[in-house]
Amino acid sequence: MDIIVDIADLAVSNDPRATLVTHSLGSCIGVAIHDPEVHVGGMIHYMLPDSTLSPEKAKANPAMFANTGVPALFRAAYELGAVKKRMVVKVAGGAQLLDDNGTFNIGKRNYVMLRKLFWKNGILIDAEDVGGSISRTVRLSVGTGKVSLRSRNREIEL
Amino acid sequence: MSRCQEILDRVGTLPPLPDTAVKLMQVVNDPAATVEELVEAIQYDQAVTSELLRICNSAFFGLSRRISSLTEAMIRLGTVKVLQLVMSIHTNSMLVREQAGYGLPPGALWKHSVAVALASSIVAQKVKLPNAGLVFTAGLLHDIGKVVLNSYVADDFAEIVRRVAEEKLDFRQAEEQVLGFSHDHIGGRIAEQWRLPEPIVRCIQHHHDPDALDPTDPLVDNVYLANSTCLLLGIGIGEDGLCYRANPAVMQRHDLSERDLEDIGAQTLVELKRVESLFTAGDVPPANPAATGQEHSNVS
Repeated sequence: MDIIVDIADLAVSNDPRATLVTHSLGSCIGVAIHDPEVHVGGMIHYMLPDSTLSPEKAKANPAMFANTGVPALFRAAYELGAVKKRMVVKVAGGAQLLDDNGTFNIGKRNYVMLRKLFWKNGILIDAEDVGGSISRTVRLSVGTGKVSLRSRNREIEL
Repeated sequence: MSRCQEILDRVGTLPPLPDTAVKLMQVVNDPAATVEELVEAIQYDQAVTSELLRICNSAFFGLSRRISSLTEAMIRLGTVKVLQLVMSIHTNSMLVREQAGYGLPPGALWKHSVAVALASSIVAQKVKLPNAGLVFTAGLLHDIGKVVLNSYVADDFAEIVRRVAEEKLDFRQAEEQVLGFSHDHIGGRIAEQWRLPEPIVRCIQHHHDPDALDPTDPLVDNVYLANSTCLLLGIGIGEDGLCYRANPAVMQRHDLSERDLEDIGAQTLVELKRVESLFTAGDVPPANPAATGQEHSNVS
């Protein structure tokens, strides 16, 4: 069963048959977390780094921003019994337009914010596929913790 | 027959835009148009009128009294809103189909087009560009060329992608080298053939290279910024991904910051979700059936 995680959305599950899927990650970032001991998986597809842009929008939908959405993702997984130190964390997205001048760099700022959040909270990234100018689809199997990533004609396990 | 000629001939075989849509765009292009003229441009198309009234009376607008005529819709919802809805209805059947060559599943190109139309209106408000009806329509039709180039891109996709990766071309340059045309330029030809107002033709043709115009055109800049934002956010993007050139000069011309772009993106997404709910509530096939209903385990 596929659980679709839309843009500015997050989902968690402890159903081992479930697969969390997010499509079309551009500059947005997808974070997949998984606790292999209790088979709890979670995924977010956040679009912007920082909720100070619009506190009302962040209140209506925390998953729009990294700094409100990522903590909400972890909290939701903890509620299903996941434990921080067992969590396997994988990251994809943060793409850019073709540009030598570093403008239109929402992707980069999205990634920097995530690193900052993880650094402060002592969370390590186990695998990542970020940057470039491609669109990515990410799938997390809740039962196995396997994360696969598809972009253009490339399909890899992360 | 040469490839280029074959592609051009394909443009000629595209079904014409409905008369009512063309007429409506001419009225939209005229800032002095009256409500009566707008009604006149829509009312002879029964299908569009009834679909419009269905949407106006949906729970979304939460109106206490039913709207039963076009004039009433214009007065109660505002002409700009009504025009946006009518244009979205008109283009739906054309854009909703799968564009496999670009890796766009059914509904994705329409979603992208509506998002760019909404974002164009949001940018226009930010930079205080008048004529919201025109801006929206230009955004809605900017990628129409993809409908024609789709099958050719599918055939030559590997070669286009190779040139993007190895020769550092952007996707439209690679299209142009491999096929003889890029989707924006073919889109311009289609728009001319449909006799769309000149400002809209320009937006479609130059939505990836606004600096090719001299002098530059604020309306084209507007659609460029809207499209770039939607590409970044991955809204309805295909295998071409984000392989298009960023142009910081456009932002400087309109005194926009990176944070402004973020704000445009956030507003666009909120409005897109509202518009999508209008169309998925009715008889229009959703982009991805699974994506229309949130799973109960989705937390946000």
